[in-house]
Amino acid sequence: MSVKILTLLTIITLITIQPEILKAQPQEAQAQQQKPEVTIQLDKKTLKNGGTVIVSGKAPEGKPVYIEVWTEERVRAARLDADIDKETGKRPYIFYMTDEMPAFYNLLVPKEFSDVLEAEKKLGRKWSVSTVLRNTGATAVFEAPAQAKIDRYQTTLWASIIGSRGELLPPMDKTENKRRAMQLVKAKFRELPVVFKATVDIAPDGTYKAPIELPSNAPPGKYYVIAKVDKDTKSETATFENSIGFPSVYLNNAGRTINLFVPFLLTVAITTFGVLMGAGGGFILNPVLVMMGLPHTVVAGTVMPTVLFSQGSGIYNYSKIKFISFKLGITLGLAMLAGGFIGPKLTELITLEQYKFLFGWILLILAALMLWQTTPKYIEKNKKEQAILREYQRRAIEAAKKKQEGGK
Amino acid sequence: MKVEFWGQEFKVNLFIGIPGAFLIAVASSMFGFGGGPFMVPLMAVGLRLPMYIIVGSSLLAIFFNTLMGSFRHYGFGNFDLIFFLLMFPGAILGGYIGPRIAKRLNPIIVKRVACVGLTILALQLLGVF
Repeated sequence: MSVKILTLLTIITLITIQPEILKAQPQEAQAQQQKPEVTIQLDKKTLKNGGTVIVSGKAPEGKPVYIEVWTEERVRAARLDADIDKETGKRPYIFYMTDEMPAFYNLLVPKEFSDVLEAEKKLGRKWSVSTVLRNTGATAVFEAPAQAKIDRYQTTLWASIIGSRGELLPPMDKTENKRRAMQLVKAKFRELPVVFKATVDIAPDGTYKAPIELPSNAPPGKYYVIAKVDKDTKSETATFENSIGFPSVYLNNAGRTINLFVPFLLTVAITTFGVLMGAGGGFILNPVLVMMGLPHTVVAGTVMPTVLFSQGSGIYNYSKIKFISFKLGITLGLAMLAGGFIGPKLTELITLEQYKFLFGWILLILAALMLWQTTPKYIEKNKKEQAILREYQRRAIEAAKKKQEGGK
Repeated sequence: MKVEFWGQEFKVNLFIGIPGAFLIAVASSMFGFGGGPFMVPLMAVGLRLPMYIIVGSSLLAIFFNTLMGSFRHYGFGNFDLIFFLLMFPGAILGGYIGPRIAKRLNPIIVKRVACVGLTILALQLLGVF
């Protein structure tokens, strides 16, 4: 009996003690990490419509200091991996997407690396985040975007045709997620100087100083700053707030702050001109917005519904005087319905460069169409056509009136 | 397909019309513009239809595309509400001002200006300058 009780007691003690043993280890490790080897101070706690915050502090002597800055606002970043795999020689067609990319991200590196950034900038569109990180020794301190959960989809031609993102693949491990996050940082922020700046001034005694420049289009909210020497040696997280006021508004999906009059006035001017030239405003509005730095997916997805109303009212006016062939309109409309199902899927898959390239050619075709419409032969034919059009329209309006009167 | 419109009958070649309309819809919903300037030449030149049947019917056809494209973009999360609310009144206002100025302008000159403007914009997009 007593033996049994003894065993029971031992088990109970073991159970109660064990978690404490387990807990003790990480606590010790944490204590070691938190030894304040790197200090951090910010000269301001609040900013309005962007500005500069000076970060300073002290790090161990003779070590490089990197400053990671990011915002709590998150946006989407996506990329289709269609580069030929060196090992298999096939194109993987995997679509990577995250909704957790910080809407603002900066990695400030020591001033001595400015040559590295310059050299990479010279590569133009071919610059890569991973090369910059490797050459500046910052791979280990690249952390905030790497924590974004990235979904990946196996895209196929068929999936694109039926307009789905493809099959959701199992989540990636940490290393792979980090590697893909580097590519998504480039897909989101596009230009090297937007993310990387060689501005950290380090004195021989280890004190460092760097300006954090927040552009006026940066999102509002809380910003986090950490000074890092390597993976384990880093400062505490410092924070500051950026607030925006009238006339600035933050576009949630685009991840940018914008002066609210800019899109409004731009739309008024371009739609007016669009009406004059007989084409919708989207042809000019979209490229201009994209060149202003808004994501092409959001531009395409938001400009399109703006014309729904004017189209609808146009159809209503024409149908009142029976000036629509519903048979013709619906037949072609069904073909366009199918096309409209596929198009938005493709917007997601293409890169900004491809968007610009294809749009450029579409505009050249449109310009050629416009030119053709100013040739004497076309004008001659168009005059007759317009006369017939007006005549029929007049008759249609009369008929509609008569019917209305008859109805009364 | 035969279509009757105001007492006249037209033959419509669907082998040109359907693939043409489909491709225009893919491109226009992909880039987010209305397909009008492409649909009108397709119906006028490709289908040999007179202008008076085109104006209303092409608008109806495009509406299908815009409606579907908008829903799909929304479904993919590419619609930004605030951005939309900033542009929508602008589009309505532009649609109101446009026709009122149009009467006072020579359409040929407007088209030539548009032609030059579009070419410059296109070359900029293509990275020529």
